[in-house]
Amino acid sequence: MNSNQSFITVGKSPLRADARDKVRGKGIYIDDMRLPGMLYGKVLRSQYAHARILMIDTSEAERLPGIIGIVTGEELPFIHGESFPDEPLLARGKVRYMGEGVAAVAAVDEETAEKALGLIKVEYEELPALFDPVAAAAPGAVRIHEEMESYKGKPLVRPVKGTNILNHVQFERGDVNQGFAQADHIFEDTFTTPAQQHCSIEPHGSICLIDKDDNISLWTNNDSPYRCRIEIADALHIPMTKVRIISAPYTGGNFGGKGGLKAEACAIALAWKIRNVPIKVLYTREEEFCSSIIRHPSVIKIKTGVKNGGTILAREVTTYWATGAYAEKGPTVSRFGGISSAGPYNIPNVKINGYLVYTNTPVAGAMRGYSGPQTSWAYESQMDIIAAKLGLDPLELRLRHVYQDGDIHTATGQIIHAEGLKKCLEEVAVRMEWQGKTLGPNQGRGIACMERAVKTPFGSAAFVKVNEDGTVDILSSTTEVGQGSETILRQIVAEELGVPLNAVRKATPDTAYTPYDASTTSSRSTFHMGNAVKIAAADARQQILQLAGKLLSTDPVNLTLADGKVLDKENPVKVMPIAAVLGQSYGSSGTVLGRGYYFPEMPEGQETYFSSQVVFWLLGAHGIEVEVNRRTGEVKILKVYAAHDAGKAIHPDNVKGQILGGISMGLGYAAYENYEFKEGNVLNPSFLSYKLPTAVDMPGVVPVIVEQEHQDGPYGAKGVGETTNVPLPPALANAIYNAVGIRIKSLPITPDKVLAAMQERGEGESQ
Amino acid sequence: MERITLNVNGQSHQLNIKVNETLLDVLREQLGLFGTKKGCDSGACGACTVIIDGEPALSCMILAVRCQGREILTIEGLAPEGELHPLQESAIEHGAVQCGFCTPGWLMSAKALLDENPAPSRREVQAAIAGNLCRCTGYKQIEDAILAVAKK
Repeated sequence: MNSNQSFITVGKSPLRADARDKVRGKGIYIDDMRLPGMLYGKVLRSQYAHARILMIDTSEAERLPGIIGIVTGEELPFIHGESFPDEPLLARGKVRYMGEGVAAVAAVDEETAEKALGLIKVEYEELPALFDPVAAAAPGAVRIHEEMESYKGKPLVRPVKGTNILNHVQFERGDVNQGFAQADHIFEDTFTTPAQQHCSIEPHGSICLIDKDDNISLWTNNDSPYRCRIEIADALHIPMTKVRIISAPYTGGNFGGKGGLKAEACAIALAWKIRNVPIKVLYTREEEFCSSIIRHPSVIKIKTGVKNGGTILAREVTTYWATGAYAEKGPTVSRFGGISSAGPYNIPNVKINGYLVYTNTPVAGAMRGYSGPQTSWAYESQMDIIAAKLGLDPLELRLRHVYQDGDIHTATGQIIHAEGLKKCLEEVAVRMEWQGKTLGPNQGRGIACMERAVKTPFGSAAFVKVNEDGTVDILSSTTEVGQGSETILRQIVAEELGVPLNAVRKATPDTAYTPYDASTTSSRSTFHMGNAVKIAAADARQQILQLAGKLLSTDPVNLTLADGKVLDKENPVKVMPIAAVLGQSYGSSGTVLGRGYYFPEMPEGQETYFSSQVVFWLLGAHGIEVEVNRRTGEVKILKVYAAHDAGKAIHPDNVKGQILGGISMGLGYAAYENYEFKEGNVLNPSFLSYKLPTAVDMPGVVPVIVEQEHQDGPYGAKGVGETTNVPLPPALANAIYNAVGIRIKSLPITPDKVLAAMQERGEGESQ
Repeated sequence: MERITLNVNGQSHQLNIKVNETLLDVLREQLGLFGTKKGCDSGACGACTVIIDGEPALSCMILAVRCQGREILTIEGLAPEGELHPLQESAIEHGAVQCGFCTPGWLMSAKALLDENPAPSRREVQAAIAGNLCRCTGYKQIEDAILAVAKK
C-alpha cells in the first residue's frame, strides 16, 4: 500500500524553512543575541578531582577595573537536578570533579572576566578521589556525597545508603538460576565503554536577567524550556511562574547535551547576586569537554545460558554506570539501561542489576542513545560470541529471538506492539547480501540491532493559531536543535488544515507564551508533540468550519478545507478562503485558536515518573563490512547498512539525515573518540586531540527506513533520530571478528587494540 | 587600540581594534556579521571559515590587524541581499542543513574550492571540507550539495 497518496505533505520531504536562514548566516543562536547593558560571565574551575575548599579570596580580582561582581558557591545555598537534586550552582564546601565551577565573575567584557579568574585565590585540601565505577561502588569507598541520604529524589531513584551508589536498578523475570542450570553453555563476558562528548558545534550558552523581586528571564539554548523552568524554580525555592525561559531561535546541535543546567547555572549564579542586568555565559570548547556533560562510561558484566541448538534460556546483566560528580540524568539513563540490558530478545529468565555510581569525573547524563550505546555494545557483542561458539549464523540467532508484536517484553512485562526490529534486521541482511555475497581476504561483515524505550509517560501541549490572513502559527515548546521538528510539526498542521506548508510557521519556545512540553528529548517530539499539534489543528479546523458555516449559511458538516479554502462538499460554487472566514480586517468574523494535548494512556496503577510501560520503542539494525589490515591493526569500513523503524516517515529525507548523522556519531564512539582521562583530568579537551569523524573518514552508508506503523502515532509515526548511532559499535566489532577472528570488548576500537589482539595470537607486526 | 581599514564583502570599514583581536571577534562584535560562527576559537572546527583573498581561512586564528588591505568574504557576502548563491540553494535542496551552526563555514570552504576547481571529485570535496566539523549530518548531503553545483 502506498499510503503517501492520500496525504498532501505527510510522507513527502518538503524543504526545511529554517535552512534558508541558516545558509545565509541569518539563523540566530544564543551567541548572536545581545541585550542592552549585557555583562559577560566567566567561571573559575576546580583543578582538583576531589578536594575540600578551605578558602576563596576574591579581593584582588574585585579590584580589577571592569569587574562588576564575583560570586562563590557559599553565597548560593541551592541544589538542582532533574530527578535527584544534588548539584550546587557553584561548588559549596568541596569540589567533586576537575572542572567544577568554584566562583564566577561578571565583567564588562569577556577578556576582563577571564583576566579576573587568574586573580582569585582558592585553597584546597585534596581528598582521595574515585574514578572507576566498580571501585567507587564498593562498600567502604570514600563518600563523594556524604549527605546523599538527605537528597530528595523522585520515587523511582533508589540510592544505596552509605555508598556512592545513587540508583540501584533492578528487573527480574523468571528464574535465572534455573535457566542457567538447564543451559548447555554458559557465556560470561565483561564489556566496557568510554566517555563520549556530544561535541555540538555550538557550545552551551545562556543570558540571565533577574530583577529585585526574583523574576527571572533566561535566554538559552537549553533543549527543554519547561523542564529547565521547574529545575530552576525548585532549586531557588521560588514559584515556577517567576521563571521565564526563552529559547534562542536556533540551537546549534544538542544530542542530549543541552538538557540540564550548564551555562544556565553559571548565568543564574551571577544574576542572582547582580540584579537588573543581563549576564551572558558562553562555554568555551574546553568547558564543553571538561565541565558540561558526557556519556556514561560503563562496565557491563553479562552472563547468558544457551541450549545446544541456540535457544537462549537465561541472561543476567550487571552494569556499573559512572555518573561522575552529580546525578544529572543518570538515574533515568540507568533506568532505561536496565529496561533494555538483556536486549530486544525473548529470553524467559532475566535478572538485571544496574548501579549508578558517583565518581570524581565530569558529570555524565543524557547523550544520544541514552544507555543504548552501552547496553547494545554488550548484548550484541555477546550474541556473536554465542553464535561463533555454537556454529550458528549470527543473523539467524537474532531473528529466532527478536521480539515481535504480541510478545511480552521481558524486563517490563509489557505486551509489545509496533515492533519493526525483525524487519530492520531483514532489510539490512537483504541489502548487504548476508546470504551469498563472498568477501575478500581479511574482509568481514557484522550485524547488530538494538531497542530503547522512549521516555514515558510525559505530556506535550500545543496551540494552533489561525491568523486573519489565513496563515497559521504553531505555539509549541519543542525546540529546533537541528533535528527538523519545526518542519515536521508544520507538515502535520498543514495536512490537517489543508493549507500550504509555507502558510504555517512554528513559534520559538517561550514559557510565557508557548504551552507545556515535557522535553525535546528521547526522540519523543514527532510522536508526542506531533499528536498534540494534530489534535490542536483538528480543533482549529472545527472552529474554522463553524465560522464558515455561519457565513455561508451551511451546516458545517457539509464543509471541508483544502488549499487554504473552505469548500462546500455538495455545492462547489460555495468557496471561501480561510483568510476571508477569519475576517481580513480586525478579525471581524471571529478568531481561531486550536488546543491540543497528548499524554500516553497508561495502565492503572503505573508509577508516573519514568514508568516501566513504554509507549513506543526506538528500534534499528546496522550491518557493516570491513577490511582489517593484519599488519597495522587498521580497520577500513567498506560499507554501513542501517535500517531504522520510523513507524511512518513524515519527512523521509529528514529520517535519512538522522540515520546518516547517527552513523557518524556511532562511528566516532566506535573507533575515533578517545576521551583520555588521567586521575580525573581530561587530557584532550579539544577538537585537535579528541578526534571527530570528518568528511574524509565517513564510509558509504545505505540508509533504510522501515515503517511499522504505530497505532497511537500521528499517521503511524514514531521517533527515530535518537538511536541511529546505537548499533554501530557492536556491528563493527562483530565484523572485525568475522574478518580476522579477534574480539574487542572495550570501546573505542583503535588500531592499537586490534593490533595487540592480533599479536596475542602471534600475528601482526611487532613494535 | 589600532586604527585599520577592513574590506569585508566589498565594503570598506574604518575600525578601532585591539591588536590582539581576532578577525572573528571583529567581524562579529564590531561589524555585527554574526553569520560567521565561533565553535572552538582554536582553529579546529571550521565554523568560522571565511575567504581572504580567495583562500579559505579560519577567522579565529587570524588577528584582525593582519587583514588590513585584504579582501574578506563572509557568508553574508556570498550572495547579494535577497538572493541565494547556487551553493546555498543546493544546501537547502539536498537537506545538507540540520542545526546549521557549521553551515556558513563549510559553504565558504566550498565556495573557495569551486572557485579554484570548478569540477572537483567527491574525494576533493571531502578534502576541502575536512576541516569543517559537522556533528549532525554525517557529511554525505553536504558533499552532494557541493557536487551538484560543481556539475552545473
